[in-house]
Amino acid sequence: MIKSLIIISFLSFSLVPNVNSAEGGPCKDYGDCDQFKPDLNNMASLQRGVGTFMKYCYSCHSLKYSRWGRVANDLQIPEDIFFEYLVPDKDAGPFDLMVAPIHELEIDNAPPDLTLVARKRTSSWVYTYLRAFYDDASTTYGSNNLVYPGVNMPNILAPIQGNQKLGCKEVPVLAKNGGEKRDELGNTITKEKCGYLKHQDGSGLLNVEEFDDFIYDLTNFLTYVGEPSRAERERMGVYAIIFFIIFTFLSALLYREYQKDYH
Amino acid sequence: MVTKVLNWINYRLPIINTFERHLSKHPVPKKVNFWYLFGALASIVLILQIVTGIWLMMPYSNTEEGAFASIEYIMRDVDYGWIIRYMHTTGASMFFAIVYLHMFRGLLYGSYKRPKELVWIFGCTIYLVMMAEGFLGYVLPYGQMSYWGAQVIISLFGAIPYIGESLEIWVRGDYYISGITISRFFALHVVALPLILIALVFLHLVALHEVGAGNPEGVDIEEYIDDDGVPLDSVPFFPYKVLSAMPAIGVFGLVFCVIMFFFPEGGGYFLELANFEEANPLVTPEHIAPVWYYSPFYTMLRAVPDPLGGLIVMAAAVAILFVVPWLDRSNVASIRYKGILSKIAIVLFTVSFVTLGYLGTVTVTETGKIMSVICTLMYFAFFLLMPIYTSIEKTYEVPDRL
Repeated sequence: MIKSLIIISFLSFSLVPNVNSAEGGPCKDYGDCDQFKPDLNNMASLQRGVGTFMKYCYSCHSLKYSRWGRVANDLQIPEDIFFEYLVPDKDAGPFDLMVAPIHELEIDNAPPDLTLVARKRTSSWVYTYLRAFYDDASTTYGSNNLVYPGVNMPNILAPIQGNQKLGCKEVPVLAKNGGEKRDELGNTITKEKCGYLKHQDGSGLLNVEEFDDFIYDLTNFLTYVGEPSRAERERMGVYAIIFFIIFTFLSALLYREYQKDYH
Repeated sequence: MVTKVLNWINYRLPIINTFERHLSKHPVPKKVNFWYLFGALASIVLILQIVTGIWLMMPYSNTEEGAFASIEYIMRDVDYGWIIRYMHTTGASMFFAIVYLHMFRGLLYGSYKRPKELVWIFGCTIYLVMMAEGFLGYVLPYGQMSYWGAQVIISLFGAIPYIGESLEIWVRGDYYISGITISRFFALHVVALPLILIALVFLHLVALHEVGAGNPEGVDIEEYIDDDGVPLDSVPFFPYKVLSAMPAIGVFGLVFCVIMFFFPEGGGYFLELANFEEANPLVTPEHIAPVWYYSPFYTMLRAVPDPLGGLIVMAAAVAILFVVPWLDRSNVASIRYKGILSKIAIVLFTVSFVTLGYLGTVTVTETGKIMSVICTLMYFAFFLLMPIYTSIEKTYEVPDRL
């Protein structure tokens, strides 16, 4: 009993995420990050994701720890098609690292490498960040981001997403006990709060839902590229656990048998 | 034929005698509880760390430019490199978890009492070396947390008066953390400290086998022996104790695999997320926190406003463990037969240690500061008041037999 309690307490200890320890939470002005659940066995999603990455991100961002061949192979894209349609550098081979042309020039303040971005900041952060750009005339690129205020990156996906502005909305006033405050008639009392993203319908190529799916695929790909062995790891883990369950069971039986010698 | 060969060897090298003395005829108490399994688990993790460490060493590059990329190379391009690395990182956390429980067992059942003082001291030394080993290993991937963690720890030396600054440079081998620091940490992590660790584990076990293993009752099983001089309440280590450890190894393997295969980052406690970014001396991470197994001591360091004072408190917290055999004046070993004062003391000690551990992983707040001071005082009170409460309290009578 005590043994199992200790094990449970250890497990639960290891599961409490430590990412919120940074001040203000990881998604900053956005509030809590939108939860992202990767699906690394969804090849169609990953293939769309790598397509998006190569089309929109790769001109500035490298994946310098990852190799072309591994990605083509893992994502089940035939190499000839992969290199013909996705890889702009015609000299690149399967064993070459995915270094963007911009990073071959030695420039200061180069855009960051994104191989490990989903591991460092979490997939949920990436998913939220990519959807949290808004128009802000006061910045160099005319856009800003709620998740990363003052980010020095243009809103490259704006034509697809459409216009997003900061707006206000009515939110329920919270009572001291944490519940919503209500008036005598039982209606929720609200107040105006600002700093919310407001999307202008029909201003982009995709509607909000389609754009969320589009970013889902891209985030899914970045999650994959952060740890390409993850799907295999989780597959193998199931077998390892089954092995140890059987091992524990059998060794417990053997132990009981031998214990009879001295009890 | 086999017997002949064995006899030939045994005449020249005492393999049969050693096997009998330390395994097949080595008497161990027949009734112990699960707390007595962590020693066996610790030795398994030690072997796991050494074996995975050797394999990690092959593709690892101990240079400033190559260290971080070589870890990603292991994770991506080396066949099953990811599993070897995760075994090593999960193993490090599990090693500490097990050793903490193993040491706590020692405090619970008085595993340091006469004549086991040396077993305890070797154990404490192992823990000390492990802390150094863990720190050095954490620097090797050369991520942001490796760099800034090392910066914080090495700067502790700077708090020492007069020689501090030169000592810092001597440890780093440079004026700042650089490739020179990595390669010397690498040498220490993979050769020097593991050698010391193995030697200490050997001594820990030899000393233990000399004086005999303890039991949760604190009964001396040597008092009642049969005609051959074998304690009546004992069973041979092999196969009985080995078999009793097997289910524990199974459960441990299960926990290990759940973490390694499904939560290798341990929610940011086993692998800190900031370490997925290459070290950058120009950018300080928002929140520098040590890995969980150092955090109680890190909190003590932060509880004292003065760096030198903090360093002394932190060092004293580990050093005080070494003298526990002489602080405990009780006439019984096990907590089961100690008085109420000892029982209260150990509960308060456990609460303070766990709280210190928690506080080390979060950002400092005003309440946190006060809590850390209180818990640090409680931690030291447990040891410093031990001679008093163990000698004045009324203990219970220990049974003769197990």
